[in-house]
Amino acid sequence: MTNTVIGVGGMAVGRVGDTLVTYALGSCLGLTLYDPETRVGGLLHALLPQSKINPEKARDNPAMFVNTGVPSLFLAVYELGGVKERLVVKAAGCGAPLGAGTMFNTGDRNYTVLKKILWKNNVLLDAEDVGGSKARTVTLDLTTGKVTISSGGERREL
Amino acid sequence: MKPIEKVVTAADLQMLPPISPAASKVLKLLDDPKADAVAIQRVIQYDPGLTANVLKAANSPYFGFRQETLSLRSAVVRLGSRWLHQVVVASFAKAAMEQDVPGYDLPAGELWRHAVGVSVASDRLVALLGVSVADEIFTAALLHDIGKIVLGQKVGSDVQRIEAATAAGVSFEAAERAVLGLDHAAAGACLLEAWALPQQLVDVVRWHHQPEDAERQSLVLDIVHLADVVCLMLGIGTGRDGLCYRPSTGAMKRLQLKVSDLEAVAAETPLGLEELLAGLNAA
Ligand SMILES: [Fe+2]
Ligand SMILES: [Fe+2]
Repeated sequence: MTNTVIGVGGMAVGRVGDTLVTYALGSCLGLTLYDPETRVGGLLHALLPQSKINPEKARDNPAMFVNTGVPSLFLAVYELGGVKERLVVKAAGCGAPLGAGTMFNTGDRNYTVLKKILWKNNVLLDAEDVGGSKARTVTLDLTTGKVTISSGGERREL
Repeated sequence: MKPIEKVVTAADLQMLPPISPAASKVLKLLDDPKADAVAIQRVIQYDPGLTANVLKAANSPYFGFRQETLSLRSAVVRLGSRWLHQVVVASFAKAAMEQDVPGYDLPAGELWRHAVGVSVASDRLVALLGVSVADEIFTAALLHDIGKIVLGQKVGSDVQRIEAATAAGVSFEAAERAVLGLDHAAAGACLLEAWALPQQLVDVVRWHHQPEDAERQSLVLDIVHLADVVCLMLGIGTGRDGLCYRPSTGAMKRLQLKVSDLEAVAAETPLGLEELLAGLNAA
């Protein structure tokens, strides 16, 4: 039974009894996967949409980028016994500062790249809480599969 | 700054640890091109806490030194102006900035983490731009949000009114002004003035959310502003304010930066942050 905190550009997987949490998603993407049958899952906290901005960093740590982090998370969950068809997939974060325009819209682009990868692989998002200007903390309870978002003193289940 | 003085009282300033006279003097000497290491060492040596911090930092593996330093003077030379700025600021501000800020939903450690993150992102922006800026940029970066300590303690239930305003699309610092009469940038500038820090530093702190409104535009101000934006997008030490700020496209244009530049800086910031936090903890 462990409670794992995932930092910016981090990723972790676990099994029944474990809890995964990541704090203060701004424009970053938080993605959770959960297999309710084998009760395994994972959580990714990716900063940036595309690894081409720093391929070296992507090799060291694929979780930094959405295009490399999302496939890595799926593979890691498969390895623990997760099965693609059963996975519950939820996304959070991808926020933007006010008046982000095209200069500060990294969050939007994180979301677009995620959707593209999921679509190409025939995976649907089961729930999402994305966009806006709030910072979000995401918790995945691997015993129940519950995903909780807390933001500015409010908590709700996703 | 008349109305501000009414809101930030002498009692508020006393809640914060006073800057030691030695620290204030060292920060001034570091900006004085005529002052050398000997002059700086002479000031530091009268403050035992500061002396200990400088010696520890000069021996910290983070700063890349292996051999044991024995004298304060060689420690000052070893560290150089860039690290001295940060070690001196950490010596008087870190303890207060590591406390939680309940009014603003910042758990213990987060405000300091944000400060160090902005220092790292500023450093990466300077490197990317290939410009030379005064090392006082690190002092400005570390202290830019220190006013949150004062307002976080005063805000109480007014935070709900601030939140209602931001929910309607008003930026957080504008909501602070509307509800409290001043924002955390002005409160911070007030503190720096009380500490007799150089005016340029006061100005950067004062206008870090509104670089266009500053009387004098400056490279340091634009860089700190954008480094702050990078850190709030990365969620480094963000609280109730979240992403509710309006980044300046003007600053991007003045520095001729592209989106990919900002993202390259963002990619390097988390790791640099952990390293510098560890370095300043060792000091
Ligand atoms: Fe601020
Ligand atoms: Fe800030």
